[in-house]
Amino acid sequence: MSAVLEIRDLHLRFRGHSGVSEVLHGVSLDIRAGERVALVGESGSGKSVTARIVLGLLQELPYAEVSGGLFLEGADLNRLSRRQWQGLRGTSISMIFQDPTSSLNPVFTIGAQFAEVLRRRDPGLPRGAADERAGALLRSVSIHDHARVLDAYPFQLSGGMNQRVVIAMALANHPSLLIADEPGTALDVTVQAQTLKLMHDLVERSGTAVLFISHNLGVVREFADRVFVIYRGRIVERGPTAAIFEAPGHAYTRALMAAVPRITGGGPPEPNDGETAFLDPMVVHEGGGA
Amino acid sequence: MPAVLRLLARRLGISLIVLAGVSMLIFGIARVIPGDPARIALGPNATGEQVAGLRQALHLDDPVAVQYGHFVADLLRGDLGVSLYTNRPVTLDIAQFLPATLELVLFAGVLMVGIGLPLGMWSASQRGRWPDHLIRVVSLLGVSAPSFVWAVMLMLMFAFFLPVFPIAGRITDSFEITRVTGFLLIDTLLAGNGAAFVDALRHIFLPAFALAVSGIGQAARLTRANMVETYDRPYIEMARAYGFPAGRIAAKYAFKPSLIPSLTIIGLDFAAMLGNAFLVEAVFAWPGLSRYGVAVILRKDLNAIIGTVLIISATFLIVNLIVDLLIAFLNPRIRHSERGAR
Repeated sequence: MSAVLEIRDLHLRFRGHSGVSEVLHGVSLDIRAGERVALVGESGSGKSVTARIVLGLLQELPYAEVSGGLFLEGADLNRLSRRQWQGLRGTSISMIFQDPTSSLNPVFTIGAQFAEVLRRRDPGLPRGAADERAGALLRSVSIHDHARVLDAYPFQLSGGMNQRVVIAMALANHPSLLIADEPGTALDVTVQAQTLKLMHDLVERSGTAVLFISHNLGVVREFADRVFVIYRGRIVERGPTAAIFEAPGHAYTRALMAAVPRITGGGPPEPNDGETAFLDPMVVHEGGGA
Repeated sequence: MPAVLRLLARRLGISLIVLAGVSMLIFGIARVIPGDPARIALGPNATGEQVAGLRQALHLDDPVAVQYGHFVADLLRGDLGVSLYTNRPVTLDIAQFLPATLELVLFAGVLMVGIGLPLGMWSASQRGRWPDHLIRVVSLLGVSAPSFVWAVMLMLMFAFFLPVFPIAGRITDSFEITRVTGFLLIDTLLAGNGAAFVDALRHIFLPAFALAVSGIGQAARLTRANMVETYDRPYIEMARAYGFPAGRIAAKYAFKPSLIPSLTIIGLDFAAMLGNAFLVEAVFAWPGLSRYGVAVILRKDLNAIIGTVLIISATFLIVNLIVDLLIAFLNPRIRHSERGAR
């Protein structure tokens, strides 16, 4: 099985007024067809920039320097023109953002925005046909009054409803890779769990590969087949989800797991950021083809 | 009742109340300022009886409240009285001079929106690059100087030193254009007279541009600021992540949400041009209502003053009404809210 996404030795530097700061120090990651891979780390560890590099968005910033290999289904993304790369967005790669309500445009109806997404694959798709396809897609995310939803503006729908809409949009054009950046973090926990379950079922059925970005280990354990733990721009541990959760090998992974608040109280322990063990070399769990 | 209709009804009601208030205020002020209108109108050689006769005809000896009653009764019949300056009904004078001013202000409004908004959009999409800096400096300059300064400078530059545009007036006198709407740009087209249309266009351009400069600057600055803010919103990142073309994002997905907050201010600027037109019309000898207004104020021509102020207030209110409706049309939150706007 070939990799849907392969990232090799990815470096990212930002040029600022006070010199250059390196954000990613050689991140390597691979996702195979139909696989759900989680990239886990605290905020500022480099998860979200990695996603935006895959989309080619970060490269458009004048002060960002990106180097490293990027391959989508075997094709070298770095050899694409900016226009060709843009052509992949919304078709071969799609993305789900943190807050569904604010990631939908407030002054256009869901139907209009959905049509625009569908036209990425089918330019010139008439609105009527787009609405019909959007309706079918909304049914697949358990929205049954789709006519009302397509006519509605995002502010007229609940966060959970918008999240379903966004999931339907993300899968509308049958992407080979779906990037989910902290999906549903802005929603309440039960709605988040419901929509993640929905997303899980849908990608499983369609065989879509997922890069799942999260800081929430509980969610990752439910969702992902394999996990990459990232700390300060370096992958510190990788392996099948079960293996990592059973025997976290890296000091940082253990600290991350310990930082999950427990219902028994006591509060989360303070992760010690100065811990030198966090900078230990990567721990690799074999198995699961890793 | 649909929300938009309800909004319209409410705004119309408020506008009528404002108009009634304006009429009382200007009526009171016009009576309080010193000088006898009858004496001014009849001139120094008129006899005391003649002045007294005119005072009686104008109800000037009645209490102010009674005079206002006469005024309202006449107004409801569409009669604003006779101008002591032109000796014609004020309504006729206004019908003659208003179209020139409206044409000037509307054309300036078109320039403001047609130049200001695209400049702001372009500036925002070029954020931090040289076109952005240039547009920001130029638009600040535009906002900073009042329109009569621009009028004088533009006239000097483009009508005097470089005689590209005619220096004054609405149209070259040799053209005979049948008056239909009073808008020369439209009347010349209706007459099928292309040369006259171009002539009228050349006449209106400089005064309209002078009037519009600060509005253009303001519109560009506001649009830029709102669009820069919108560009940081997650829905724009999503649009980019879905590969929507940059031009389409700028012109549609970032522009529409940004336009809503800009529009209120643009509407106010547009209405303010009605006031600025007084000065610009004076500079360019534009035969509009503003020049008429100045002339009648200096002659204490009560009926004409009140008529002019009322009609300008009404225009101001109509412009605001249109802007409110536009905003309601653009902003689904207002259109779909149960209580209408705010």
